[in-house]
Amino acid sequence: MDEYDEMYGIEDEYDQQFADELEVLAEMDNGELTDMLFRKCNLIALFYYFILTFGVRSFCNCALYQVSLPCTLFTAPKAKRQKQDASVVKRLFDSQQTDEVTAPTTRTDDITPPSSPEQYESTHSSASSRPTRAVLDVSGFAAFSQTPQRTAAAAVTASQCVLKRPPLDGEYITVTDSSGNRVYLRQKENTGRKVISSLHLDGSLGLLSEPFAVLRVQVAERVSPRLFLMSIVIVHSGVTEQFGEFGGPEVEEEEEDNEDEDEEGRRSRLWVDRFSPHHYTELLSDDFTNRCLLKWLKLWDTVVFGRERKVRPPQVDRQAPAQAQAKNPYQNKFKPNQAAENTNFKTFKTKSQITEEILEAELDNHKRPKFKVAMLSGPPGLGKTTLAHVIAKHAGYNVVEINASDDRSAEVFQRRIDTATQMKSVLGTNQRPNCLIIDEIDGAPTAAINILLATLNRKDGHGGEEGGETTKKKKKKDGVLLRPIICICNDLYVPALRPLRLQAFLLAFPQTQPTRLTQRLSEISRVQGMKADTGTLMALCEKTDNDIRSCINTLQFLHGRGQRMVDTRTVQSVAVGQKDQNKGLFHLWQETFQLPRVKRKRVGPGFDEGPGEGGGAQRFQHILFLAQSSGEYDKVSQGLYDNYLSMRVRDPNMHLVCEGLQWLSFSDQLNQTIMHGQNFSLMRYLPFLSVTFHFLFAHAHVPRLSYPHSQHDASTRLQTNRNALSTMMADIPPAVRSRISELSLSADILTLLLDILCPKLRPVNPQLFSTREKEQMRELIDTMLAYNLSYRQDRTPEGQYTYILEPRVDEAVKFPGLPPRRQLTYQAKQTISREMEQEKMRRAEHLMMLRNPAAVRLICDPKPKKNHQQRLETIVRQTTVEIRPEVDFFGRAVAPKPQKVLTSETGEKSVEQSMGTAVGNSHVWFRFNEGVSNAVRRNVYIRELL
Amino acid sequence: MSLWVDKYRPASLGKLDYHKEQAVQLKNLVQCGDFPHLLVYGPSGAGKKTRIMCLLKELYGAGVDKLRIEHQTIVAPSKKKIEINTIASNYHLEVNPSDAGNQDRVVIQELIKTVAQSQQIQSSTQREFKVVLLTEVDRLTKDAQHALRRTMEKYMGTCRLILCCNSTSKVIGPIRSRCLGVRVPLPSTEEVCSVLSTVCKKEGLSLPSELARQISERSGRNLRKALLMCEACRVQQYPFSVDQAVPETDWEVYLRETANAIVSQQSPARLMEVRARLYELLTHCIPPEIIMKGLVAELLSNCDGQLKTEVTHIAAYYEHRLQLGNKAIYHLEAFTAKFMAIYKKFMEDGLDGLMF
Repeated sequence: MDEYDEMYGIEDEYDQQFADELEVLAEMDNGELTDMLFRKCNLIALFYYFILTFGVRSFCNCALYQVSLPCTLFTAPKAKRQKQDASVVKRLFDSQQTDEVTAPTTRTDDITPPSSPEQYESTHSSASSRPTRAVLDVSGFAAFSQTPQRTAAAAVTASQCVLKRPPLDGEYITVTDSSGNRVYLRQKENTGRKVISSLHLDGSLGLLSEPFAVLRVQVAERVSPRLFLMSIVIVHSGVTEQFGEFGGPEVEEEEEDNEDEDEEGRRSRLWVDRFSPHHYTELLSDDFTNRCLLKWLKLWDTVVFGRERKVRPPQVDRQAPAQAQAKNPYQNKFKPNQAAENTNFKTFKTKSQITEEILEAELDNHKRPKFKVAMLSGPPGLGKTTLAHVIAKHAGYNVVEINASDDRSAEVFQRRIDTATQMKSVLGTNQRPNCLIIDEIDGAPTAAINILLATLNRKDGHGGEEGGETTKKKKKKDGVLLRPIICICNDLYVPALRPLRLQAFLLAFPQTQPTRLTQRLSEISRVQGMKADTGTLMALCEKTDNDIRSCINTLQFLHGRGQRMVDTRTVQSVAVGQKDQNKGLFHLWQETFQLPRVKRKRVGPGFDEGPGEGGGAQRFQHILFLAQSSGEYDKVSQGLYDNYLSMRVRDPNMHLVCEGLQWLSFSDQLNQTIMHGQNFSLMRYLPFLSVTFHFLFAHAHVPRLSYPHSQHDASTRLQTNRNALSTMMADIPPAVRSRISELSLSADILTLLLDILCPKLRPVNPQLFSTREKEQMRELIDTMLAYNLSYRQDRTPEGQYTYILEPRVDEAVKFPGLPPRRQLTYQAKQTISREMEQEKMRRAEHLMMLRNPAAVRLICDPKPKKNHQQRLETIVRQTTVEIRPEVDFFGRAVAPKPQKVLTSETGEKSVEQSMGTAVGNSHVWFRFNEGVSNAVRRNVYIRELL
Repeated sequence: MSLWVDKYRPASLGKLDYHKEQAVQLKNLVQCGDFPHLLVYGPSGAGKKTRIMCLLKELYGAGVDKLRIEHQTIVAPSKKKIEINTIASNYHLEVNPSDAGNQDRVVIQELIKTVAQSQQIQSSTQREFKVVLLTEVDRLTKDAQHALRRTMEKYMGTCRLILCCNSTSKVIGPIRSRCLGVRVPLPSTEEVCSVLSTVCKKEGLSLPSELARQISERSGRNLRKALLMCEACRVQQYPFSVDQAVPETDWEVYLRETANAIVSQQSPARLMEVRARLYELLTHCIPPEIIMKGLVAELLSNCDGQLKTEVTHIAAYYEHRLQLGNKAIYHLEAFTAKFMAIYKKFMEDGLDGLMF
């Protein structure tokens, strides 16, 4: 194709710009068509198609015919082309008045190779209601079909509706193309075809003043499905079949389907559906995003279609935009669009590079891409769902969609995922692999998303297998995911999506370019017979924030109301089209605190004069609308409250601040009334707070906003302090407890109490205290016990030990910036703590004694015998003296046998007996694991010591 | 029981130190046999609770001193469990229903009904009624107060209510009219001084009268606070000196500094600082009304006489709004901003007056 590019400098741009598409499309076909010729044709056809869609005027018309195609590539077609040229000439001669105005448009169509002329005829008649179709067939590429008769017939048909001079009889329409050639379209056909019916449904004739654009849209509409189908057919048939063998009827059938849909759509569907793109090149969304998604999907080709991945030619790298710009800067003059894109690339270089890297990354051991899921995110109405559908179809998949309208509970979801990813339709015509599109995934329950994750991460039993046999093993490999999944969401940062986000190929949708959207809108309105100039449509785009769906719906709404002339005022005044979507609180705050850019005038100090001004009313409505749609009034007012003081409004007399606060307290009052009385009708007055703040504090500068957390912080700290107080109060003895309340504690008692708890103690052993000091100490401990305070040893992060008051009421009364309260020394606290423990024990004992005097006496009455002596005796008795009466298994007494086994013949006692007597005789003995100890005990085995 | 406040609290009506004629009246009330519902109100630290406990002792004898804390769990109609602590003796039950927050109505309904419906066992030797002591009635929601109305009448035979609050303004009229109002005013400075010196004498300390006077002034005649201050003074330094620094509660110091900050500069930036300080006060469990009151007092002492009426007026206005609203910080800040505006205008006018 290089030669080709050199010949036409302009095409070169397109080649560069759409190198990726071309490449993927080429990949699709690559090495699969046995018919070399057909492939080349296909490529060229696509190439022309791109040119057409993107409207290069210079590359147009009859000039095309003089193109001698490069011999290297087109050796085979060349001969035929000449032949076809001849046929064109012949046709011109035949029909005399005919010219091929729309010659370039026709080229695309001819990749459809009907296998027989008869079938072509039937197609033709079915498609005859569309004039473009007829025109299309006056194709230069018609030569590629094997039947010359067909082209002739087509030419004749076409010649009857496209005339070079005004027809003598009947109505006609003048059509001028961009290069100034004028043709005349006959309006009535003698065969009864409704030639222009599709062009103007409402019958106004002035519509076709710009025929090129109209025709282009129509061509795109008509051609894209066919072309698309063709490419798919080629892909499919290419794998196994020869070109000549693939089924014409199949194509036929699908085409019929499409047409039925079109007809149906014309009657009932929304414009949004009717004019939704059917082909990749019609997409309005950002090219980069489209391309990335398509590339990602193409990564699956290896595993899904069993094709080897083509190595990216170095040529493409050379054409990387930044480099291209450096290489031939003069070209940028001709393509401002791309220049813009280049700057875009520069600013987001890293991001796009990352994306590129992801796309270039190696496949895993199942020949799958690294990221199994693509996640599209962006505000509504940008065409995410459309993009996913178009691209999936484009890449040869059968789309299976799960959206919020489906049941997404865990089991159902699992089943649907499995169905979509592991099965394939065997009936019907679309025997294509499935591509699962999960729409609106941000609303799915967490369980469903976990299932999706599990599906992604499912491991194969025997991982390291060669992927060549994937197609064979598909059925056996129950687990591994082998189909692409595209998820679509509005909000990427929904908590449930967090785990998925890490494993997904993230694509954030940028805003649709208003110019492109406007262009599309103008096309639609023209087709529908509405008059709308670019300014109006721009205004519409602005109003809807470039939401494609909303724009088209608004147009249809206006159309439905019978308005044929749409101007800016209508658009501004119409109530529909504004999205009732939550733009985020920060957006609202920003809008509130910032004057709109165009308004240079500073707002006067008073709220009163604001709305009276020209822009005032509009701003009023704008802020009101934003505030109303946000709905979170409480949060909004908090944000306003937290931020308004840092605004740069000059307010020497503090009147604005007072006014604002007046409103805040009013809204608080309102809120209280609403909440308390459940009187929600008052809620409608709450959003006016934002409006007031806008008129009071808005400034031209970009406000620096912070998220309001002061109230939350305050309530958290309040809760902490409350908890400390209530912990303290919980165990205060009732006599004291009845006299204090939380309020009196915090306001009166605590500070002073803490002072009282810090007497001056001499740093000596409490035994050495004087009686007075002892008394003081006792009182102190009494007080602490009465108020349920104690000291707890704690380790600071630095490793020091301190005693802290428990519960932490000292924190509850400490204010920052005040001189610290006098603290006791560590030793003093330690002493107090120890004394308190003793006092507590004493009190507990006392209490026990009061409750159960007998038991206490028992405990208090010490036995004269020593502990170890008791044990000793029993043990000695057991080992030496005590002989248990023996019993047999059934518990009967057994007559004692002569028990002298232990004593040996020499008369020595047994070891056991001697030990027992020895123990009994000695004064000191030790038995392991016995006795009373407060220490922690555990069993230690000898083996642990060895 | 070693704080002086607790240790030397009078336990019977006869031993009360001040408002003695009121004590006599209460005694008569008990003795005449027709004991009404009571609404005891007065500022904090005036001795309301002490007086009530004395009254109960007069009614039932020493049995009321045997107190126990009971943890009650009440299930609200919404199946929500409400935990509430009550202090009870055999003869009375003390509840602070505002502990339950918004669900206080349920507490009133359930708890009081249970108590009121049960008869005293030995009515011949005892009073035939029990007493339910409700504290902080002014913090009850309106719903709860309305729930109280009918209960008060219906169970009059078995139950008397003693309501305790700081101010009657938040108690609805129907309840006020059902109760005998008993106002317990703050003791006078002299009375506080005499109490302080009595306590010190019992402790074996000698308190200079100047210091006693100073303490009573500093405490704002709040007897509880005065006694605590006195004890803190004792811990700080003994023997007492006349010019000894009397310890204060931290929040009052903090509030005073806040007021000084307001007076010293009036700007949005300063307002921001003041907001942080107000938040600090609020988070330390100081009720917004008290903050407002303290703030006004401090500001009034700082500003010119001409401004005082205006400042008081706006303070009243914002205090009212504070009561109606929910987010105290808005109203406190609004008051501060308004004061700043007024004060600034006054100062600028004054400057202008000087210049011309």
